[in-house]
Amino acid sequence: MNTKLRAFAEQVLVVLNVFILFLLIFLHKLTVPYWLQPAGRMHPLVLHFPIVLLMLAIGMEVYRIANRNTNLTSFYKNFSGGLLLAGILFTGITVIMGLFLSREEGYGGDTLEWHKWTGAAVFFIASVIYWVRNKLWYSVTASWFFAVLMMLTLIVTGHYGATLTHGEDFIMQPIYANIKKPSVPIEQAIVYEHVVQPILENKCVSCHNPNKLKGELALTDSIALAKGGKTGKLFVPGNPDISLLLERVHLPLEEEKHMPPEGKPQLTREEITLLTLWIRGDAKFSQKVIDIAEGDSLRILATAILKPEDKDEKYDFSAADETTVAKLNNDYRTIAPVAKGSPALDVSIYNRDLYSTKQLDELDAIKKQVVSVSLNKLPVKDEDLKSVSRFENLRRLDLNFTDVTEKGLDALTALKHLHTLSLSGTKLSFAGLKDKIANLKSLKTLSVWNTGLTPEDVAQLKNAYRGISFIEGFKDDGKDTLKLNPPQVKNDEMVFASAIPVQLFHPVRGVQIRFTLDGTEPDSIHSPVFDNTTIIDKKTTVKAKAFKDGWYSSDAVTFDFLKNSFVPDSVVLLQPLNSVHQAEGAKTFFNKKLGAIGANNPAWANFWAGVRKNDMELVAMFNQPVTISSYGLHYMLETTTGIYPPGLVEVWGGENESRVKLLTTIKPVMPEPGGKPTLETLEASFKPQSVSCLKIIVKPHVEKDRRFLVLIDEMFLN
Amino acid sequence: MDKEILEHGFSWNRRRFLSTMSLGIGSVALGSLLMPNLFKNGGIEEEAFTPGIPHFAPKAKRVIYLFQNGAPSQQELFDYKPKLREMTGQEIPPSVRGNQRLTGMTANQSSFPLVGSFVDFKQYGNSRAWVSDLMPYTAKIVDELCIVRSMYTEAINHDPALTFLQTGSQQGNRPSMGAWLSYGLGNENKNLPAFTVLLSRGIGNGQGVYSKLWSNGFLDSVHQGVQFSKGEDPVLYLKDPDGMSRKDRREMLDNLSELNELSYKEFGDPEIATRIKQYEMAYRMQTAVPEVMDLSKEPDDIVKLYGPDCLVPGTYAANCLLARKLSENGVRFVQLYHQGWDQHGNLPFEIAKQAKDVDQASAALVIDLKQRGLLDETLVIWGGEFGRTSYTQGRLTEDNYGRDHHPRCFTVWMAGGGIKPGMVYGETDELGYNIARDPVHVHDFQATVLNQLGLDHEKLIFKHLGRRYRLTDVSGKVIKDLIA
Repeated sequence: MNTKLRAFAEQVLVVLNVFILFLLIFLHKLTVPYWLQPAGRMHPLVLHFPIVLLMLAIGMEVYRIANRNTNLTSFYKNFSGGLLLAGILFTGITVIMGLFLSREEGYGGDTLEWHKWTGAAVFFIASVIYWVRNKLWYSVTASWFFAVLMMLTLIVTGHYGATLTHGEDFIMQPIYANIKKPSVPIEQAIVYEHVVQPILENKCVSCHNPNKLKGELALTDSIALAKGGKTGKLFVPGNPDISLLLERVHLPLEEEKHMPPEGKPQLTREEITLLTLWIRGDAKFSQKVIDIAEGDSLRILATAILKPEDKDEKYDFSAADETTVAKLNNDYRTIAPVAKGSPALDVSIYNRDLYSTKQLDELDAIKKQVVSVSLNKLPVKDEDLKSVSRFENLRRLDLNFTDVTEKGLDALTALKHLHTLSLSGTKLSFAGLKDKIANLKSLKTLSVWNTGLTPEDVAQLKNAYRGISFIEGFKDDGKDTLKLNPPQVKNDEMVFASAIPVQLFHPVRGVQIRFTLDGTEPDSIHSPVFDNTTIIDKKTTVKAKAFKDGWYSSDAVTFDFLKNSFVPDSVVLLQPLNSVHQAEGAKTFFNKKLGAIGANNPAWANFWAGVRKNDMELVAMFNQPVTISSYGLHYMLETTTGIYPPGLVEVWGGENESRVKLLTTIKPVMPEPGGKPTLETLEASFKPQSVSCLKIIVKPHVEKDRRFLVLIDEMFLN
Repeated sequence: MDKEILEHGFSWNRRRFLSTMSLGIGSVALGSLLMPNLFKNGGIEEEAFTPGIPHFAPKAKRVIYLFQNGAPSQQELFDYKPKLREMTGQEIPPSVRGNQRLTGMTANQSSFPLVGSFVDFKQYGNSRAWVSDLMPYTAKIVDELCIVRSMYTEAINHDPALTFLQTGSQQGNRPSMGAWLSYGLGNENKNLPAFTVLLSRGIGNGQGVYSKLWSNGFLDSVHQGVQFSKGEDPVLYLKDPDGMSRKDRREMLDNLSELNELSYKEFGDPEIATRIKQYEMAYRMQTAVPEVMDLSKEPDDIVKLYGPDCLVPGTYAANCLLARKLSENGVRFVQLYHQGWDQHGNLPFEIAKQAKDVDQASAALVIDLKQRGLLDETLVIWGGEFGRTSYTQGRLTEDNYGRDHHPRCFTVWMAGGGIKPGMVYGETDELGYNIARDPVHVHDFQATVLNQLGLDHEKLIFKHLGRRYRLTDVSGKVIKDLIA
């Protein structure tokens, strides 16, 4: 190495020693100008060079001293010394940068102090080595001593430095994370300590701890948390919207003040929700999870987090023999493994009529393996539960709508693992139940809907057993009054020849149907109650409404009973029907089948015969002459889709087809466009006339060359 | 001498080759320790799947899928967008619409004015989820629901989208979700089919449902969905003809089964074995079905819970009640379809009616399952096949508008079955047009549903025509955030 350069470098080394010593002494007064701060921030970048250089050089130095008396080349000696010098100079620069960085906001605490002094120590030890390395007393032992001392200090410095950057336990964290922490029983869990703090611990504390007080904020314990940081208090209890903590979390990621900073592990949605809920609930530090109201999101989320992970529960028994299981399976008893490779078995039994305890007793061979039994809706008695108690590993037992009572629970106390029990719809009563539950030690969920328990009883139970979730359900408290649906008509056909009994019906029990026959709206006082005795013998519009206590009355519903006294022996169409409205052709008009609204829907369109391009012309023949005095037809009106009443209807009658005369014409008034689609009848009376042949001509409505569709499903001759 | 050196060189090389190679192999072995599945090509085959047994312990044993056929508009029901309402009448910004393909129904529209919901939203429950005023009953149970607002699909028309959601393929002829479950989990109750279908329709613009949606595809035909219809004969051809006693039927079936056995021995066609099993099940269904379908014993409280329509066969409410009964009786997958959600026009009027049809009964089903202690093992799903556009289809008037198909985002909700309750997952942009956060693809959704039932969607496979098929085809991931 150039001797001049070396001499210069040695002088720089002296300068550095003095400068660093000075900085260390007066560090507390140092203010780093902003333009020099980037130099400080390059400390974590630069520090790797001196580490490598120093380690290499110190090794070479030890080797050099040990072989002082042999013929080491001068190049080696020279190179070794130069390398050591370069390493020390780099160390000095790094130390200075580090001192600058330490003056920036957010660093402090013991770790920083240790890092600072050990780092400086490395520099000074290395400097000493450099100066004494050629002294005569610098023996092999001494060189070893100094080398080891420096290396140790270097390692310690590095460790503290890494702790500052990455947080405590950075290296071992994956190992610790994998070691399952003993889970806190839910009854003892505290929201802050077991749910909130672990989140901060994971995502925030590496920068906000007493050692690295970024923003003068520590998040290590409740006191520090309550104190807040430089910008102020972290949260306003009860008001997450204006809480600083959440503001920082919710800022866009690019924003400088967003926390955790870009590049660090971010809070998950769930964690943010938990923090929000905790603050909304006044950010209490000592509140227990089970003291929060059931159904509160905070409780639900906290419970989910605290729940020991039960991914594929481990069972301590071996699997049952497969052929035994297969043999025990039958049409009404299903026994299935919980999962592939799991020894546990689920049992479900069906069919009320075939149930007996034998079905349970037969399972003795697999009593160890059964973990869930479903006996819903079977006539299970209290004493039958003795047969259930043999399943020592039972976890879940469904007894909804069975005949068991609280007395049967005694038999279940032997089940040490039972955590879910459903007793909805049973004759369970409160007396005695309260104490019996205490014997079911591992119970977590109990369904008690639709039993003898009142809401007050359940509230008492909830109070007494905080660790158990009691499932209630819907009970009609009369507050939510519903509207009844309208009555239905059960008559198969609404077209009759002479007389017809009206058959009205309502699906809800205890409903009163009131009706009118004159087209007026039925009411709950004056209108007659329907009692299945009404018989009508002429065209009638029945209006009906349903009434029941505790319900709003239904809308009125209208049923048209239509009379047709004479069915022709044959009907012939003289002109074609519209291709998509064929219905049953000529048979359509007297088949007693009424169409419904919605002609374009294939399922409903079947009963509608329609024409548009041409007239509908049909000839109806009677074998024996009949005397008629009126003609009617039933049609659909849907102006929005162009379905209109006929423009004109002509009814011709006589002895035969060639000797008919005009009996009547009907010219309906055209409706205004728009309006709801409806079903209508047209009718005209005339002088009684004996006919064997009728010719009916229906002309579609025409307006400014536009022809409108006519849809007819029935005709009436009376 | 030269020769010796040369030979030495060779032998040294061979030795070095061997030692280097052993090192190389060693390092590969070391590396493979970190990649456990590296050399397990075809390991799926070795890990033979046993039909009827889940891969791992399931959270849910049964599914009730309340399919809202026709695609309900998320903007009027669950996805609250005040900004969209503010911008009503303004053209949708091209940056939002992007280059999305549109249906033939609006592609030629000259303008695409945005339209906000005509109905108001409020926040409910502890989860503070936004629900529109059209869903008052659902609003009351939001703390039981997991509302996913960021579902998206690939298809833009009803049939392919519906088929995609149900079978994992837009083209059809693959097994439906219920058939896969039947295949994967088997019957819980051997007296009822594992997969049943119930249909109803509202007054809104309807879209068809076809039996291909509950097809067993290439799976054994026992896994086909069985449709339960309204009226006297809920399951077609199940009733004995007049004059035939149960004893006669039994004898006839025994004899028939003997004949079938014979022909099975002769031809070995597995469909014959299936047929024998089906006849036997049908025989048992003759007693099980009337019991399930009988709603007359339901107490008044239940009638009030579901609404009075639950006693009118063929309505959505009745189907919800039936779904509960079927599920309670161990039917693995109850598939409902409610038609009438296709509001291309006249949306305010139609959607109000549709919502009224389904709101109370859907909520009632969740409550009813819960009070029976069944919600934890029954997964309830509510949703359509895609969403609807933020811009109007047709003319935007003071009180009327329509919305076209929109595959980019839609809302479904799930309840029970080990899904996180009281949660709103995913987010759409301010105009409700694109997903802003946490997208859930149809395959992700299917994978998650299967996961809840203890099935690994990558292992639930069936080899057919030389290819291994899955419900999730070749993609999909379980959305862990949805799982409680």
